[in-house]
Amino acid sequence: MPRDGMRRPLVVQDSFLRQIDPRTKIALAVATSAAAGLPLPSLALVAACFVGLLVVADVARPAAAQLWRGRLWFAVLFLLDWVFVSLAFAALITLRLALLTSSCILIFATTTPDELRLAGERLGLPPRLAFAFATAFGSLGLMEREWRGILEAQQARGIESAPARTHWWELRGADLTRVAALVMPAIVLATQHAWAISEAAAARGFESPERRAYRVLRLRPVDHALLAATALLLGTSFLLR
Amino acid sequence: MTPLLEASQAAFHYPGREHAVGPFSLSVHGGELHHIRGPSGCGKSTFARMLAGLIPHLYHGTFSGAVQVDGQRTVDTPLWQLSGRVGLVGQNPAAQLLAATVRDEVLFGLENLGVSRAEMQTRLDATLDAFGLRSMADRDPHTLSGGEQQRLVLASIAARRPQVIILDEAFSMLDTRAAADIADHLQRLRREGTALLAFEHRLPQNGWREDARPHVLARAPLAEVSLPEWRRVAPWRLRVRNLAVTLGRRRVLEDIDLTLAGGRVVALLGANGAGKTTLLRALAGLQPFDGDIHDDSGGRHLGLCFQNPDQQIFNPTVRQEILFGNGGIDADLYGSALELSGLAPYEYTPPLLLSEGEKKRLALAILLTRPGLRGLCLDEPTLGQDDQHRRRIGRVVRHLAAAGYLCLVATHDVEWAAEWCDEFIRLHNGRIAAHRNATALRQPEDEERCHATV
Repeated sequence: MPRDGMRRPLVVQDSFLRQIDPRTKIALAVATSAAAGLPLPSLALVAACFVGLLVVADVARPAAAQLWRGRLWFAVLFLLDWVFVSLAFAALITLRLALLTSSCILIFATTTPDELRLAGERLGLPPRLAFAFATAFGSLGLMEREWRGILEAQQARGIESAPARTHWWELRGADLTRVAALVMPAIVLATQHAWAISEAAAARGFESPERRAYRVLRLRPVDHALLAATALLLGTSFLLR
Repeated sequence: MTPLLEASQAAFHYPGREHAVGPFSLSVHGGELHHIRGPSGCGKSTFARMLAGLIPHLYHGTFSGAVQVDGQRTVDTPLWQLSGRVGLVGQNPAAQLLAATVRDEVLFGLENLGVSRAEMQTRLDATLDAFGLRSMADRDPHTLSGGEQQRLVLASIAARRPQVIILDEAFSMLDTRAAADIADHLQRLRREGTALLAFEHRLPQNGWREDARPHVLARAPLAEVSLPEWRRVAPWRLRVRNLAVTLGRRRVLEDIDLTLAGGRVVALLGANGAGKTTLLRALAGLQPFDGDIHDDSGGRHLGLCFQNPDQQIFNPTVRQEILFGNGGIDADLYGSALELSGLAPYEYTPPLLLSEGEKKRLALAILLTRPGLRGLCLDEPTLGQDDQHRRRIGRVVRHLAAAGYLCLVATHDVEWAAEWCDEFIRLHNGRIAAHRNATALRQPEDEERCHATV
């Protein structure tokens, strides 16, 4: 059963991006990723606009949290590039990586799995694949809880997580057994979950050829405006590079 | 009158299994309530899946006999068409949730019916009102309580207006209050002409038991085995003072003061979310807490047996599973644990092939071989178990208590607690609402019995 405090909200309900068509958000994320190929001055301009959008859309916090998780990698990359190439190159590479890492937050922090599924179908994904993708995305929280449950259950019988080893040749049989003790139940539970989802979906008529979506995706003026602004910014940046 | 649903000698043979499940026959008319029960492993869930058409459409194997829905054979009818007439509600509500909001959960099934948007809106509104879900329409279903989740799953099925609803252990994970709530909604659907098939070990009490047409799926009963001599532990006490637990921003347990003695079987009762599992985890040292837990024998000697044994099982045989990490245990202790848990015939069987009840007993055997153990915390050990398995668990905890162990059992199964426990603790909103002798649970008029079985 779910417990308060053990589940973090995945979708920021107050964001204005909640009202934007998911296809527009996908286009924004793709455009942001494409901009990663720009040289530093243009890239800095796009990055500044992107950060502005994150702040206005109230998703700066989850984006920052996502970047914070990779802080070690960013720092190592920045230092190596600075030492072996130059400060400008280090800034360029790190900024590119940060932009690529955070571009998808626009979608995932403001779109529900059902909206993603609908957008996937409208973009030509087969319904079964769109459903699988949306369900996998929606099951992340559940799988995270299951994983914590496994860790705790194994800890209760004296099996701790495998200690970190610096080199692979230091791995011992006992480490591998510990890994198996965590991974095997995870595979079993994930398979059980997948079956339960399949049965639940089949019990509600999944794959009916008569299916009609309740929501209809429609690009509104605000979507067109956002897309036009993005195209303008990206086009200008490429021309100025 | 043509039955809505009819099974004639329906049987299913899973690939690689020695025996087929079935054959079963059943005939269901509108508005009827059928109670199908039988021991664990007799094929109840398989039969439910055959009736819903999931078998043979979703499962590989050999299906024989026939199931007809409204005169049409399930093998010849697409699953999406069958699901419009026969709905299936499973045991674990959280595993059946498909959408990000309560509203979308109901809409998922309606969209697949192919009705107009206006019709979807009408049915959505009617369903949200009828099942009391209006106020939570925009909530994430995973944040609801277990009872609310099961109500939502039922609402999602009922919105499609099937002629038959199959309940496969749909009540087993719910506390008595939530089960009664779901039962009331189902009775309303029945009055409107929907037939109900309940595959349950026990039915809810509010009028269902008298009303149902019983069917028993038979299987050879478990042999009553004598329990082995178990090592005795010296008398000891566990004292809990001002225990409190906070999860996130919520105070889950507060002001817990308890003194429990070895040699007692104590039931931990309370509604879903009352704090039973959290208390067990704190006592077993798995949950940080404020306050004090003092074991007068020195150290911490309580072990926790988890609700879902699949979280622990990973070895290729039962023997290796029990001995893992316990290589130094003596052969007598290993043999006794195997015998006590009734798993001696399965010593070299892969644990994943055991039934749910057997897996639960394997988890118990793993715990019993832990060095220095003086007490057990069992989380819902009888959940989804038939009467024979419930009785076996009862005998095992009494046997361990006779050897001086403290057995603390969190359960919704008040009848089991009344039969096998010495005392009970009732939690309400994270506090102890009552701590009394279990005889109160055996008296129908007692206030505590009423609290527990509402």
